Amino acid sequence: MDIKNENFDFELVTDDPVSLTRDMGTGCDNDNAKSMSKWDIMLVRVGRERDKAAFAALFDYFAPRIKSFLLRLGTDMSLCEEIAQEAMIMVWRRAETYNPAQSGASTWIFTIARNKRIDRLRRENRPLPDLSDPAFAPEAVETGEKAIFRQQEEEKIRHALKNLPDEQAKMIFSAYYEEKSHREIADESGVPLGTVKSRIRLALNRLRAHLDEPEGIWKP
Amino acid sequence: MNEQASFNMQVLDALLLDYATGALSLPLEVLVETHLAMNEDSAKTMNMLMKLGGVLLEDSEPVSLSEGALENVLKAIEDDEESAALDTRRLDTNSGFLPRPISDYIPNADHASWRRIGLGLFECDVVFDGDQGRAKFYRIAPGTAVPSHTHTGTEVTLVLEGGFTDETGSYGPGDIAVQEEGCEHKPVADNDGECLVFAINQGDIRLTGPIGRVLNLLVN
Repeated sequence: MDIKNENFDFELVTDDPVSLTRDMGTGCDNDNAKSMSKWDIMLVRVGRERDKAAFAALFDYFAPRIKSFLLRLGTDMSLCEEIAQEAMIMVWRRAETYNPAQSGASTWIFTIARNKRIDRLRRENRPLPDLSDPAFAPEAVETGEKAIFRQQEEEKIRHALKNLPDEQAKMIFSAYYEEKSHREIADESGVPLGTVKSRIRLALNRLRAHLDEPEGIWKP
Repeated sequence: MNEQASFNMQVLDALLLDYATGALSLPLEVLVETHLAMNEDSAKTMNMLMKLGGVLLEDSEPVSLSEGALENVLKAIEDDEESAALDTRRLDTNSGFLPRPISDYIPNADHASWRRIGLGLFECDVVFDGDQGRAKFYRIAPGTAVPSHTHTGTEVTLVLEGGFTDETGSYGPGDIAVQEEGCEHKPVADNDGECLVFAINQGDIRLTGPIGRVLNLLVN
């Protein structure tokens, strides 16, 4: 298999990055395009051009992270592997609907993996359409500025997360990495349910405060 | 913000976090999804929580997939291309009396059989696969006071139309009310129209008060 990502350093993501971003209707110039993550650009290429090399690069980066994420949730090893592969197949299928002005590739892929895992664990397919699929997110006006703003938001979230007080960060990590409901966190940690809820509220308030004007809304 | 209102916000954030991480049962997930379509603030919070998921996914320590995983996936994708184009259309469901997206899960809602369980009070069971708590719709006539009752499990209620007021606050379309186990409450529907709610209860409902004791026989 010689489809590999050596040629996919972002600088050379396309022969003509300017025209790529213009094609996307972002109207952003070359500098703005560079502020998008290289994964965002690759995902756009997969959607627009059905580019298998870009897909392989996304696979190499994200599939092992999906697997790792699922393993932390205590999912069985072989199931993790399967779900990671199925999620990446879904990434290929839905890439056309990816909108870089609205979410980063990592957020979009997180959502797909989340839905895939829920499907598998319920051992039934959710009724069609899969409403929480990012494919159903609303059309946003695509502008280069929005894409930059959106990416800054992800950086702000990362920063805010690092600065959360330990007891609040613990709630967030237990929720995402152990997939515990807030009730389970309370039951298993011995922290009273009311305290768990108030810590979650405080943590989300801190994150919200870092994004004074959160961009975009989640439309199921 | 008074204590009750701040408590309600904590409960909502905890529920939104549970949704983001995929920790909810199917009925609760449908409830929260519908809430997200009706409440912009929660939709913004969800957008942030999905970004948080993307950040945590990207920061995960990668775990290699098995040999040939990429080849498997590329093979699946090629098979895809041979098959018919994928259907990613949004279903144009006739939603009847229900807002989207809950209407997509319950396409036959217009043929629901309503049971009268009290003066101006009707209920209708919603059956989801598996034992996932009781899900019901309730219709409450304008100005009707529902007999005082308690819950043996937490009850989560989403207002679809109209509104009601109980000891914990006033709730309008798109609002979620959570009744903790053992809390007694007596909701009263707003005067200006019928109130339609979707409620999920993890346990039983115990009616309290003299009228309630009679109604218990009808409900259980």
